[in-house]
Amino acid sequence: MFVLGKGGAGKTTATVALGMAARRMNKRTLLVEIGDSDALGGLCLNRTLSETPEKISLSLWGARVHPKSELEAYIRAHVGSGFIARKIIRSRLFSYLIDATPGLKEVMSLARIWRWEQAKNEQTGNRFDLIIVDAPATGHAMSLLRLPDQLIRMIRVGPIANQIRDLQRLLKNPQKTCLVLVTLPEELPVNEAMEFYSMAEDELEMPVALTLLNCVYPSFFTKNEINQIDFLKDGLEKNSVTPFSVILDAVLRLIRRRTIQQKYIDLIRAKTLGRMKEMPFYFTNDLTLDDIDALSHHLTHPAFISS
Amino acid sequence: MLSAAIRNPEGPEIIVCCGSGGVGKTTVSAAIGLMGAMSGKKTIVLTIDPARRLADSLGLKDFNFDAQRVDLKRFSCSFDAPEPELYAMMLDAKRTFDGLLFRYSSDEIRKNILNNRYYQHLSNNMAGSHEYMAMENLYEIYSQGRYDLIVLDTPPSRRALDFLDSPQRLINLLGHRFFMNLFKPYIQVGKWGVRLLNIVASPVLRGVGKIVGGQTLADFAEFMKLWDDALFDGFGYRATAMKKLLSGHKTLFLAVSTPQRLPMKEALYLYERLTENHMPFGGFIINRVEWTDGKKGGKTERVDGNSGLEKIVLDAQLKEKMITAYRQIQKLAETDAASIASLIRQIGSRVSVLQIPMADGEVANVDDLKQITNYFS
Repeated sequence: MFVLGKGGAGKTTATVALGMAARRMNKRTLLVEIGDSDALGGLCLNRTLSETPEKISLSLWGARVHPKSELEAYIRAHVGSGFIARKIIRSRLFSYLIDATPGLKEVMSLARIWRWEQAKNEQTGNRFDLIIVDAPATGHAMSLLRLPDQLIRMIRVGPIANQIRDLQRLLKNPQKTCLVLVTLPEELPVNEAMEFYSMAEDELEMPVALTLLNCVYPSFFTKNEINQIDFLKDGLEKNSVTPFSVILDAVLRLIRRRTIQQKYIDLIRAKTLGRMKEMPFYFTNDLTLDDIDALSHHLTHPAFISS
Repeated sequence: MLSAAIRNPEGPEIIVCCGSGGVGKTTVSAAIGLMGAMSGKKTIVLTIDPARRLADSLGLKDFNFDAQRVDLKRFSCSFDAPEPELYAMMLDAKRTFDGLLFRYSSDEIRKNILNNRYYQHLSNNMAGSHEYMAMENLYEIYSQGRYDLIVLDTPPSRRALDFLDSPQRLINLLGHRFFMNLFKPYIQVGKWGVRLLNIVASPVLRGVGKIVGGQTLADFAEFMKLWDDALFDGFGYRATAMKKLLSGHKTLFLAVSTPQRLPMKEALYLYERLTENHMPFGGFIINRVEWTDGKKGGKTERVDGNSGLEKIVLDAQLKEKMITAYRQIQKLAETDAASIASLIRQIGSRVSVLQIPMADGEVANVDDLKQITNYFS
């Protein structure tokens, strides 16, 4: 499960919430973070995750994929002589080549995830029923997921080419891989989400299975109550600040924000093909794991974490 | 203060906005640009934001990759300058790279490069290609000297660090002599004068070839050779000049964030990297801050008990609901204030921290942007 979305939409929160929902369904779940980011590690364990899966809590594991070390491990595995492997890794030619073919590093990350997935069929300690990847922001995630297709055009033969083909098969199998898009009920995130739906379907051939609409303001008031509140506003004296005017002002702002959000909720609901779920706004700038656990109850449904 | 720096005729000529994605960097950049134009500077805002947010808020419906003048007359707000000149431009990686080729190479070489599979991949996907491109455009536009102020909206944060390093990385990556020396022993001149890579001759090359495929290696060598013939001198010179320009007094870097934990962490990281690299830092801009009663640091009304509310004739249940809703927004305002206080504790009081309150509506046009500029002082 790849969790994608624009920066700031709440991918990491959603990743953890999905993991917690899966845990409640007794699925052994691995949460994966890619590259230098330590958002996931910071949230779950207050530190950077290690590169081998480590337990976060019962049935919930976490790991970080570091492309460079993946690539080095890969070279060691594929070059017979350890001496030459070390020479290659250390050679500047190699680091130039890797820098200039950045896709190679990212595809190595995908390959790592693929190996964790494959390990499911083996009698090893690291078997996972579900792997949830906290993917980079949409633009970069698109290039990540597009990479196998692009690389196969550049690298046609050799062990890497074969591995890329295996990866392509895994990614494009809807029984195995799904995309979860996290977005916000605001103009640009919603527009981007709708653009992403068609890109995912046409370009990646990996349709979005679930859309999570994050930070949805609760509707505190009924329509009738909103009318009453509007009426109160008219009765208020201008320019006099009282405790009541402060409260009324804040309440009106909340109602206004919710009304704007509703416009985009309706818009995206009309356009989305897969499932959609709202995640409520928590009125804090620092969600705790308890908050996310509460959020995850919105996601506990077999359809979201299907077998 | 930021507004003084923007208005000052001797102030910075380049303002770079950095920060993680989704914090409103592009909106802030546009507002800075507007303020520059309003104070009589001919200003351009450069963005790489693929969401084209800038275009939306500036009313540029048909956004293309050329500089476009923003029609400020359409908007109701008044401006200090009689004829404010604001331009906007979106940056595109492939276009910039192709432009470089046209500038520096001969027709023959250009054709070969454009056909090389590496180039096709590289120009669109190279890690940091957006950063190189942003730098390249920035430098190009700066050198033309057509604008008094250039505002650059950078790629999201971690990438923006590549952006800081990019001149050096460019030089390194394209350090041709060094690179060619690595390859030289293995390049043979083939029958028809075509350069071939002799992979068999080196165990290292053989190993690398085994991993990425021999053809790939040959393509890469070919690309480096072409790149080298075409671009090195012009490119290397520019990269050095860019670095100099960015660390000089004509530039100002800003860290944009929201009060949320992760963007704040990124902004702090950026600030540390910038100061470490002796880049001129202009302060933090914290966007979307909740102010309980709409005023910065405004007193939070305690609504414990019913003081002041008992006189209001209102359904008790609705009154209770309103207080509950108010307490939520109050909670948010308090966590935001705590987050900003924590930042100030870490950076000290000498660094500027500006706050922009959470907008109740959407930033939809130049009038809204002008509202934002009110918070720059």
